[in-house]
Order: sequence, then structure tokens, then C-alpha cells
Amino acid sequence: MTSEHQQGIEKNDNIIVIEALNKWYGDFHVLKDINLKVKKGERIVICGPSGSGKSTMIRCINRLEEFQRGSLVVDGVEMIEDVKNIEAIRREVGMVFQHFNLFPHLTILENLTLGPIWVQKKPKKEAEATAMKYLERVQIPDQAFKFPGQLSGGQQQRVAIARSLCMSPEIMLFDEPTSALDPEMIKEVLDVMIELAEEGMTMLCVTHEMGFAKKVADRVIFMDAGEIVEQDTPDEIFNNPQTDRLQLFLSQILDH
Amino acid sequence: MRTFKPLPSQPAPKETVGAVNWIRENFFSSVGNSLATLAILMLLAIILPPAIDWLFLSANWQGVTQADCTKDGACWSFVKAWSKQFFYGSYPSDELWRINLCLLALVAVIIASNVLHKDWRNKIAIPLFLALPFISIVILDGRPIGLSFVSTDYWGGFSLNVLLAAAAIIIAFPLSFLWALGRRSDMPMIRSVCVILIEFFRGVPVLALFFMGSVMLPLFFPEGTNVDKLLRVWIVLTLFMSGYMAEVFRGGFQAVPKGQYEAADSLGLSFWQKTLLIILPQVIKISMPNILATFVMLFKNTTFLLIIGIFEMLSTTQTALTNSNWLGGHATEGYLFVALVFWICCFSMSMISSSIERKLDTSHKK
Ligand SMILES: Nc1ncnc2c1ncn2[C@@H]1O[C@H](COP(=O)(O)OP(=O)(O)OP(=O)(O)O)[C@@H](O)[C@H]1O
Ligand SMILES: [Mg+2]
Repeated sequence: MTSEHQQGIEKNDNIIVIEALNKWYGDFHVLKDINLKVKKGERIVICGPSGSGKSTMIRCINRLEEFQRGSLVVDGVEMIEDVKNIEAIRREVGMVFQHFNLFPHLTILENLTLGPIWVQKKPKKEAEATAMKYLERVQIPDQAFKFPGQLSGGQQQRVAIARSLCMSPEIMLFDEPTSALDPEMIKEVLDVMIELAEEGMTMLCVTHEMGFAKKVADRVIFMDAGEIVEQDTPDEIFNNPQTDRLQLFLSQILDH
Repeated sequence: MRTFKPLPSQPAPKETVGAVNWIRENFFSSVGNSLATLAILMLLAIILPPAIDWLFLSANWQGVTQADCTKDGACWSFVKAWSKQFFYGSYPSDELWRINLCLLALVAVIIASNVLHKDWRNKIAIPLFLALPFISIVILDGRPIGLSFVSTDYWGGFSLNVLLAAAAIIIAFPLSFLWALGRRSDMPMIRSVCVILIEFFRGVPVLALFFMGSVMLPLFFPEGTNVDKLLRVWIVLTLFMSGYMAEVFRGGFQAVPKGQYEAADSLGLSFWQKTLLIILPQVIKISMPNILATFVMLFKNTTFLLIIGIFEMLSTTQTALTNSNWLGGHATEGYLFVALVFWICCFSMSMISSSIERKLDTSHKK
């Protein structure tokens, strides 16, 4: 965390505002009164035990999940039951999944240009040039004409990141981007994410990579049982937990 | 530090490889297995010699009439003499090129859609594929393009089985995809309409559908118009095929991982973009072996058309059998030939289907 970066985050420039958000799966209250403001350029790491609602919360932000109560505003657009608003928000928000979710019937290049061509209506040539630029940034331009099944997990995840970046999103969501990868490949994906963070991308990242959190996060959010239990700088969260729940969680993940 | 050196690979032990070993393991691995092998060999020894004799050795290959069949064996000259009718029905001899053209176009489009680059396939091969039934009708009928008119009464033979089945599956493709999509819809109205359509056409025997088609379809056309019998059959076969294919597609939809829908959504694709660009290609790929199996069934079912008086291959054969010049009882040869032609077609489609299945199996492991 650099002080330069801290100044770059303007005080009232909230790009995501979540207020009193509640969600149920049937009778199961999965998100309880979530309040969260994210400033432009802020890097947030979300952690917590399995089933605590981390995925559900970030998936609400691009409407992969609906919620029943509360409000959510992304870059000034309110998330309501309206195709126009939902599509507008999805154009602002990129998402990277645990299992990559590349389109297996399309080449890497086609995976990257699909969104720009069909959603942003860019000419094919321009979309391909942009795609190649991002493939170079994630260091696999030589894989452009292969199919996803021919790439290693780490390479696939880097393609997935590049695919989101091709849509020039304002916000990037990551849902455990490295937890399906072999240890040897985790670093190559984390390196790409660190680079992205250094360029000032607004990021919300569910991960248990504590090294990554310490290195890039402005704020760490700890969730349990559908609530935000604590949120603070990584230093405070890791060295000075305020609740017994977080203490227990930290002792468990640091144990092994 | 010690450097790690992998051990060299050794050849497999001798007693597990080789032809003799293979025979022993597969045919004589136990007493029961050996007995079964011997029993089957004996059965073959009893059946094969007379069969080969009748089929080939003392068969009649030459000649143009009944009288030429002098030897004891099969009278293949019967099949030869009627081969034009078996394949083309009563279509005028001078105009057979039109049927050949349609068959050729069918094969060409199928090959094209497999070898062409994706862009060309989507822009040219698929639209052409969907237009093919209508183009074929125009060519075979002749009137719209200034060729001599050939009424559907003269269309027939094996080419009719092929073209009808192809025309039915081509239209059934988009139709059944929509039905399958509707069956997954959130809207209860659309969902129930699709469920009813699918279950009706799957549940009612195809013969009953043919008879219902003759009686009921005319009710949907303006009064007084005479709905061509072949057109009715085409519609019925298409709907029948759509019912089965919709269920095949439904299985395909379920095999596409949820993550694919989510990735498409998060890119901001609209519903139809997501469905057509992401989901449809994967569903078709996954469903292809089952679609081919369904098509084999449809193709064989086209022989039922003889019951409602359409001169497809089987009914042409029956006509030939009752011809006064050939009243020698050549039913065995005739039906064997029909069976052989259908078997070759269906068997090759099964082979294609299982080879696609094997390819899918390896490419979907990931
Ligand atoms: N579609 C669903 N229907 C019903 N319950 C669900 C559904 N999806 C998730 N849940 C439940 O909601 C809770 C929160 O799930 P979520 O996936 O958000 O947890 P998570 O914090 O991301 O956990 P993990 O670390 O295992 O990914 C879990 O108890 C889960 O069982
Ligand atoms: Mg999760």
C-alpha cells in the first residue's frame, strides 16, 4: 500500500454503495443487513469461513444473484428489476470465477472478443487488437488460437482475467480465483492480479491468499454467517482482531 | 545435492501381449467361455455354407426377366431390373438428375458444415442447410424454375426416404431447440405449451400421427385447398422428430455447466446472444450422438409411409413383387435388399455417432 495510492482514492467517490442488503434462499437468511461502501480504486479482500456468504455477496453486485431487501448502487446506477439497469451495471463490472468458465467451443481470441463485438459493438479488427494487447499483458499471446481445453489451469485463469479486462470494466470481482489451481500456478495468477491492483483498478476479491491480502488490500472484510463481522486494514485485521470469531478463523487458516 | 533421474520405461511382460494371447483371453478364458465359443463356431458351420451358396455361388446375376433366373440360388437380376424404381420411384427417367442434385446438395452441405471455418459455416452452410428442403421441393416439382412438372405422385423410392427424413430433421432442429428452450422457461404459459407439444409428439405412435395428419391437418389449411399428401407427411415427421429432439436437447442443456451461463451474463450478453452464441453450440455438440440415434429411428420409420400409400422404398418393393413379369416369389431377395440398404445407412450413422461420442469423451474430460 503506497501513500500515493491512498491519496488517489477520493473521499466521497463511492463507486459501490450497498445499504441494508438482505437476501434469502427460501427460508435461509444468507445475507444479513450488509452495508458496504467501496471507493473508486479501492482494493478489498473478503475472507471468511465456507458458507459465510462471500460469493453470494459479490455475485449480488453484478446481479448473478437477486436480493430481496436493501439497495445497491454501482457507479450511480441503481440495481433494480430492469434489464437496462442490469445490463448497464454488468458492462461496468468484470468477474473472474473459481473455475474460469471460459467458453470451451471458442478459441482464446474469440473468448476475448465476444463481449466487445456483441455487447460493445466494436469492429472485429479493433476488438482483436485489444484482445492481443491484454493477452500480452497476461503473458500468453502465443496461445491466442488454441482452445481453453488445451491450456493449463493457470493459463486459463489468466485468459479469464484478460476476457474481463477487454470489456474495460470499472470494477473487477474475483471469486476465489486461485483455489482451483495447483500450487505451482497460483503465483502466475496472483502476479497478474497484483499488477492490476497497482494500476488502480477497483477490486473486490474473495480469497484466502493472505500474502496477497497483505500486499495489495486497502481493506480486508471478514464475513461469517451472512454478516460483515469486521473490516479494517490488513494490518489491523491480521494482527489485532477485535472478535473471537475472527481470532478463531485466523488461527485455523494460519495453522496449516 | 542428489539429482533426480527418472527410471527408464520397461516393455510390458510377454505373456500379456500378442495375438495368441489375445485369442486365449477373449475366447477361451474359462470353461464356460470356451464352450460358448465352440457352440457359436458350430452354429456358423451349419448356417454359413448354404447361406453363402444361396447368396453368391448359385445366385443369378445376369438377365432381365423372370426366365433368366435358372439357377437355384438368389435371383439378383430381379433387384437389378427394379433398381431404378427402388431408388427413384416412378420419377421420369430423363429427370433423375434432379433427385441426384438434391441428394448431392444434401451431402455437400453436411460436409461443408463440418469442414468449413466457423465464420463461413455460420454465414453460409447453416442458412443453406435450413433452406435445403425448400430448394429441393422447387427442384423436384420443377414448375417454379421452369422445368417440367413432376407431381408428388411420381416421387418415390429410397431417395424419397432419404430426402423426407432429411427435410424433417432439418426443420426439427430449430423447432425442437425452441421447444426445449420453452420447456426451461420461467414463464408458466410458455412452459406448459412446450411440455404438451413435446409429450404429445413423443407419446403418440408415429402411425397414429400419420393417420391423424391426413384427417386433421387439412383443418388448419383454408377450406378447399388440397393439401398434398407428402406435405402432410413432412409436417407430421417434423413434429414427431421435434418431440424426440427437444428431449435430447433438454439433456444437452442440463449438461452445460452453470458457470457458462454466469460467464455470459457477467459479460453483459443479452438472453438471445447468450443462448445462441454460448449455449446452443455447446448443446448441439453434446447432443450430436443422441440426435443421430434419433435420426436413425426417424429414418427407419419412413418405411411406415407405405401404409398410407406413399411410394417409398418398401412399398416400391412390394409393388415390384406383385408385377406379373416377376411372379417368381422373389420376396426374400427384395426384402433382403431393402434391409441391406437401410442397414448400411443406419449402421454408418451409428458408427459416426459413436466416433463423435468418443471424441466428445476425450475433449470433455477437462
Ligand atoms: N442456490 C442456493 N440455494 C440455496 N442455498 C444456497 C445456494 N447457494 C448458496 N447457498 C447457501 O448460502 C450460503 C452462502 O453461500 P456462499 O456460496 O455465498 O458461501 P461462501 O462464503 O462463498 O462459501 P465458500 O467459501 O464455500 O465458497 C451457504 O450456506 C450455501 O449453502
Ligand atoms: Mg464461494
